[in-house]
Amino acid sequence: MGFFDEPFDLTTAAEGRVEGIAKVTGGGKYAAEYKVNGLCHAVLVGSTVAAGTILNINTNNAKQVAGVLGIITHLQKPLVPGMANEEKIKEARFGLPIFHTDKIYFKGQPIALVIAETLEDATYAASLVTAEYKEDTKIVDFNGALASVSLTPAGKDRGDIAALNNAAQTIEAEYNIKAEVHNPMEMHATIAEWIADDKLKLFDKNQGVNNVQRTFAKLFNIPVDNIEVISEFVGGGFGSGLRVWPHALACIMAAKLVKRPVKLMLTRPQMFHSVGYRPASWQKIKLGANADGKFVGIHHQAKNGTSFYENFNEGITRVTRLIYHFDNLKAEAATVPLNLSTPTWMRGPGDCTGDFAIESAIDELSYKLNIDPIDLRMKNLALAKHPDSGLPWSTNYINECIEKGAQMINWKDRKATHSQNVNGDWSIGYGMAVGAWNAGRGTASAGIQMQKDGTLTVQTAMTDIGTGTGISMQNIAHESTGISKSKIKIELGNSNLPPAPSQGGSNGLSSIGGAVVAAVAALKLKLAAYAASQNEAYKNATAADILMSDNGISFKTANNQFISFTSLWEKNKLAILEVEASSGPGTERQKYAFCSSAAHFCKVRVNRKTGKVKIERLVTVSDGGKIISEKAAANQMSGAAVGGIGMALMEEQATDERLGTLVGNDFAGYHFPVNADAPIIEVAFINKPDPNINPQGSKGLGEVGIIGTAAAIANAIYNATGKRLRDLPITPDKVLLG
Amino acid sequence: MLGALAFIPRGVKAFYEEVKNFIVPQKEQLPLTVSINKKSYAIKADTRTTLLDLLREDLNLTGAKKGCDHGQCGACTVHIDGERVLSCLTLAAMVPGKEVTTIEGLANGDKLHPMQEAFIECDGFQCGYCTPGQIMSAVACVKEGHTKSVAEIKEFMSGNLCRCGAYNGIVESIQKVAAK
Ligand code: FES
Ligand code: FES
Repeated sequence: MGFFDEPFDLTTAAEGRVEGIAKVTGGGKYAAEYKVNGLCHAVLVGSTVAAGTILNINTNNAKQVAGVLGIITHLQKPLVPGMANEEKIKEARFGLPIFHTDKIYFKGQPIALVIAETLEDATYAASLVTAEYKEDTKIVDFNGALASVSLTPAGKDRGDIAALNNAAQTIEAEYNIKAEVHNPMEMHATIAEWIADDKLKLFDKNQGVNNVQRTFAKLFNIPVDNIEVISEFVGGGFGSGLRVWPHALACIMAAKLVKRPVKLMLTRPQMFHSVGYRPASWQKIKLGANADGKFVGIHHQAKNGTSFYENFNEGITRVTRLIYHFDNLKAEAATVPLNLSTPTWMRGPGDCTGDFAIESAIDELSYKLNIDPIDLRMKNLALAKHPDSGLPWSTNYINECIEKGAQMINWKDRKATHSQNVNGDWSIGYGMAVGAWNAGRGTASAGIQMQKDGTLTVQTAMTDIGTGTGISMQNIAHESTGISKSKIKIELGNSNLPPAPSQGGSNGLSSIGGAVVAAVAALKLKLAAYAASQNEAYKNATAADILMSDNGISFKTANNQFISFTSLWEKNKLAILEVEASSGPGTERQKYAFCSSAAHFCKVRVNRKTGKVKIERLVTVSDGGKIISEKAAANQMSGAAVGGIGMALMEEQATDERLGTLVGNDFAGYHFPVNADAPIIEVAFINKPDPNINPQGSKGLGEVGIIGTAAAIANAIYNATGKRLRDLPITPDKVLLG
Repeated sequence: MLGALAFIPRGVKAFYEEVKNFIVPQKEQLPLTVSINKKSYAIKADTRTTLLDLLREDLNLTGAKKGCDHGQCGACTVHIDGERVLSCLTLAAMVPGKEVTTIEGLANGDKLHPMQEAFIECDGFQCGYCTPGQIMSAVACVKEGHTKSVAEIKEFMSGNLCRCGAYNGIVESIQKVAAK
């Protein structure tokens, strides 16, 4: 790969993100903020029961409200061809067949949509819609329903876990984690406009415009290219935008019905049951080691909640196969259907949950073995190859993450027994845990438009959900062209631009980076081809031979044969030079395994009288390969750590079995960390490029930032108090009673 | 009157549902003159319209964000007569005679407010959705003098949620401006 021959040495940018000014001035437009002529508003009405059948819906009062333009119910709706019958609904795999069923699967399930001139009219009219139901028995309590499903194998066994019977020390314990809700600050919203009978324009909040395009092309039986999806600014996602959800379809149906553009923004309470969540989970771990600390084996069992209309398997035991050597391993899993909406991937999906159990159990084992938790891990890390596939890691610096983190937090200050850690009403403790994530890469495309003055516009359909895709693309384009950053514009989040995979699973930068590099190579070749008309030497030039600068191109060699862009443009009568290229994974995936990893260290204070846990320090060191944009990467990692604090100490979607309802579906009832809940997060990177994953050598960071954080905190609480708390979130009551 | 009460169905909720069947109130519109970012707007506003919806839906000033519509997140923070206020908990009808400043009115023409510059420099955001609210609060936080320590900044900025968790950069931005 030619690109790697060049020095890839990014200096930390003093300037901010490409979209910085738009974000600090309020100029950036998020999905619900576009000015569209003739726009009207839609508001969803939710079911008031959790299970049953709709008998009738009364919309008479709602219709009387001035300004109401139309009401959609399952009885009265514009046709969605892809949901015309049971069979098609199954085929579509869309999830909830909104307005195409009289069945109620969860409380809040949309049963009607009111469309009106103003948001106030629509909101008021929606409050007047009533329905009668035939109620069925409902079940929303995950722990109550656990026993009703049995486990099945999750992947191949390794060896025989009967070996655990001979282990010197074993830990056998259960772990419960409450459901968590993504709750990006921007509520999901869609503006839908039918430009023609078969042409649709959407401003939509999502993490992948091409995915949205494909989904609705299928449902409405129209060509993919007839749908334009714009998601230039996305107010957070964390996984909630990786699927296309029913409210977006509802909005499109509404636009069809009233023949006008329609806006639908979910309310915050609706966000809790409309766009997925991390399901509640139960796990059981049996882990054993020899007296010297070498792991003998692990038995990992896991169950997670799902809905009655779809099966969502979290993949909780996947991470068990990733980080350590276990000669003997058995993993089993099951899903537990509930009268709730379908869960979905949320930051560090599956792994973050599974990792909490494993890393808690290893910590517990370290005390039993009387071995430092760091040493115990170091003895057992699978540093050479992926334990399952047997492929060598392309790179894996998880051990270096641990070493660096230990240094940063002064691990040597940690005292192994909690009685040594008392300080007045407070106890102080240290904990650590690691996390890893299979590092992926998808095929993505990027385009470049170049002007005579050397200005570049680099384009992709990929969205930037806040991860820094834009600034990273700019950095890569700058690094591979030599053109100043101020002359490189970035355009993204629009389905008219070159296609790219969704922004998720830590694959965004890994995928798009290669595409930008490929597009730059294509641009260099195109420039060389034009230059050849002025200078024969350029005839057989390869992209790797060519150097670009702000003003022109030349050869890398001493006799550089510089040609200015101005002369190139004038001689060849060029207007704009355009290239597009795609790039994706190749045979390296058969030769190597890829992972990102992280080590998290935490120092806590726990108040013995109130049970309050205060995170005093949180250190997170990660191996994400080459860091392309240091500030954005550090921001990702500290943000993920804040998410980890939420998971560990406060996030909990409670349910009420009697009413079949979610409890606390707003920010008063569902807490995630505010500024004062988090310390200044200390972030560091190993920052060594992975030479095989993609041209720029970056492995992706979004997930590993949160995988292991909760365990590090729980382990620190144990170190402080001697209380092993295995149920998340660890609220003060659990600390006091534990 | 007493006779009518005899017909009240069981429970207040049921009664309310009954009433809704007889009276569907019509909306009222009020003529208002409001001053936003030193510009005066003569408008007719629905009496139910919040300042936030007035800004976002009617005036195309979408810098103030809707993150909850319940006064729980701070994304909609604006200044009214120089103090931070949640525009989702403020009715449009409450602001005539007062000066409203939104994020769009913070910069001086092309020249960004120092807090806006600091947020860019310190990367005080990721997705940017909470950012206008954070910046409006941050400007007020500095003015209020609640910047003596990291802990104090964190405390007085805790009404502005950031799900991306960009709190490191937010605190750093405020420290930077407060030090000036
Ligand atoms: S939108 Fe006003 S506080 Fe959340
Ligand atoms: S930057 Fe995304 S919510 Fe704060």
